[in-house]
Amino acid sequence: MPFDAAPSPVAPPAASRLWTAGASAGIPIAVLLGLAAVHPELAPWLVGAATLVALAAWAANRRRPGDGARPADPAPPSATGAADRLLLEGAFEALVDPVLVVAGGEADDLAGRRVVLANAAARDLLRIPREGALLVPALREPAVLEAVDEALYGGVERTTDYTAPGPRPRHWRAMTRPLAGGESDGALALVVLRDETDVRRMELMRVDFLANASHELKTPLASLAGFIETLKGHARDDARARDKFLDIMAVQAERMSRLVADLLSLSRIELNEHIPPAGRVDLVPAARDVVDAVGLLAAERGVTLKLEARGGRAPVSGDRDEVVQVIQNLVDNAIKYSGPGQTVEILVKADVPLQEAAAAWSGGAREGGVTRLPLLTPDREPGQRYAAVMVRDHGPGMARETLPRLTERFYRVEGQKSGERPGTGLGLAIVKHIVNRHRGGLTVESAPGEGATFTAYFPVAAPRPSRDDTTTDRPSP
Amino acid sequence: MTQHTVKAYGDELNQLTAEVARMGGLAEAQVADAVESVARRDVALARAVVERDARLDGLHREIEKKAIRLIALRQPVASDLRRTLASMKLATDLERTGDLAKNIAKRALILAEGEPMQPLTRSIERMGKLVSTRLRDVLDAYAAAEVERAISVWNTDDEVDEHYNALFRELLTYMMGDPRTIGACTHLLFMAKNLERIGDHATNIAETIHYEITGLEFTGERPRWTPDPAEPASPETTSA
Repeated sequence: MPFDAAPSPVAPPAASRLWTAGASAGIPIAVLLGLAAVHPELAPWLVGAATLVALAAWAANRRRPGDGARPADPAPPSATGAADRLLLEGAFEALVDPVLVVAGGEADDLAGRRVVLANAAARDLLRIPREGALLVPALREPAVLEAVDEALYGGVERTTDYTAPGPRPRHWRAMTRPLAGGESDGALALVVLRDETDVRRMELMRVDFLANASHELKTPLASLAGFIETLKGHARDDARARDKFLDIMAVQAERMSRLVADLLSLSRIELNEHIPPAGRVDLVPAARDVVDAVGLLAAERGVTLKLEARGGRAPVSGDRDEVVQVIQNLVDNAIKYSGPGQTVEILVKADVPLQEAAAAWSGGAREGGVTRLPLLTPDREPGQRYAAVMVRDHGPGMARETLPRLTERFYRVEGQKSGERPGTGLGLAIVKHIVNRHRGGLTVESAPGEGATFTAYFPVAAPRPSRDDTTTDRPSP
Repeated sequence: MTQHTVKAYGDELNQLTAEVARMGGLAEAQVADAVESVARRDVALARAVVERDARLDGLHREIEKKAIRLIALRQPVASDLRRTLASMKLATDLERTGDLAKNIAKRALILAEGEPMQPLTRSIERMGKLVSTRLRDVLDAYAAAEVERAISVWNTDDEVDEHYNALFRELLTYMMGDPRTIGACTHLLFMAKNLERIGDHATNIAETIHYEITGLEFTGERPRWTPDPAEPASPETTSA
């Protein structure tokens, strides 16, 4: 068991204590006898002293087993003892929260603070080996380091909250406790990290939802109230005006309900953002479904849809509804900004490395004034392959300075008209959050007058060893 | 005896790395807290950031002292020498990062006296998050000695630049719309510039890490776009 081999175990092995006792008595005796040999005139005194030391050491050693009732004492590990250790070990490993045991060296020696033990969750989180890692490079948060120091040298228990930034920021609560441990190893401390992201997220979400909803619903509500006022007043008997007003009111009400639906779905996605989806979706049929669904709308606007799949099936790990929503929102946008007679192209690329998944439509970045900008970049995972869906329109395009703001809620590119079916301003925000949840990425490529291309890419699902793999790749239209 | 000397030498090198990592953690927290103090108009937090900057300066001096001592006493060569020099360079970059964060916090104190400017501080917050993430990534790369990770940070520097340009235009539009906001907007503009420079320091750190690990100067083409002649004030923003 690796636990036994720990360089600085919590309790030193019994053998070392016996050796220490032996050495502590043996060395003075040897010295005294040596002196006696060199100075024969003092011999009787020195030999007497040596005997005394030997007697004292013997007495001390005899007393030791007396207090050997302590559980930590050497006692040959019985079968049940070993089983207990194994159980304890297993429980420690299986703890859901990351747990670290930290040993402090000298108070001013940062490299002396080492992780003596780290359970599986901690190893995953901090990317450290089970034992022996330096604490400071692994965990940099200054407040937590301070708390660890206080536990090590001041014996103080502390709870510290901190946030780890990133595409999916996480809120952690670090609990530090001094540990009673081995006599010779200096101070030990226990660090338990707890993920508080869910709790904090719920709070933030409520605040955000209220702020967004109240702000965005104000305008249509005000106009509804105005029309009701008019209908109750002087337009009461004017049938033509009444019909017209009711039509406008219906449009406003529809806009409000769409807005609330979008806000709710955004909140739901945000809440699950740091929980990776479990399912498996093939991008090609998903894209085909979307094309079928929006076909009517596209035909109404005189827009042609063209779907191309490169590389056959493109299975990704993801939630089917959410992936379809990503493609749907992107295609909806593309149709919205296309004029009659224009084409919206949808391209599915299967199984490509990160660089190619995020690559531009044409291949070369920034040629002819076209800007390409990542709106979301996934955490680097070596060897991970991606499948991408690209949606390209030939509409008015956007200027480079607007691109970084596209995924902001309610952001609208100035001077652009999205036609008679105005959007809620949440479409791309929803896309971004879904893609983020799937550990994927999103890029945009555009220039004024050049149209726009949005690329969403998702990590490829691990191959499933089942009959599905035997089906041949279907060449897609 | 030789064993002991080498061990102490190794310990000293490890300690230097640990000190830099700790300083990095502190700088990271400073940037994050400074941005948060802007977003939440938190005066106490902003003051705390300003005060804590002294600690970063102290750490910087200490790391330099230790590195010089190590060079003088151990005469490191090859990777050990690079490691020592990298720690000095990183400490300098991190110290500058801390100064920029402190400047942001000082401006946050001034902004807190005026009216809230929700949409603009949100943009600053978004840019701050991006920069914090890059700083975290590059320090993670340092702690784990991963060149690839450092390079990927280096490669995405234009993201920060794009954000800066977008914010620049946003602020300009605001100021033209309402001249009373010019004072506050100027502070926000400097904050954005500071964040952009913190991003540049992260890029520098990535280069240093590359040198430390491989021993080669990083000579890749920086993904920097050349400002078009219309920049900074383009006609379409003026008419908005």
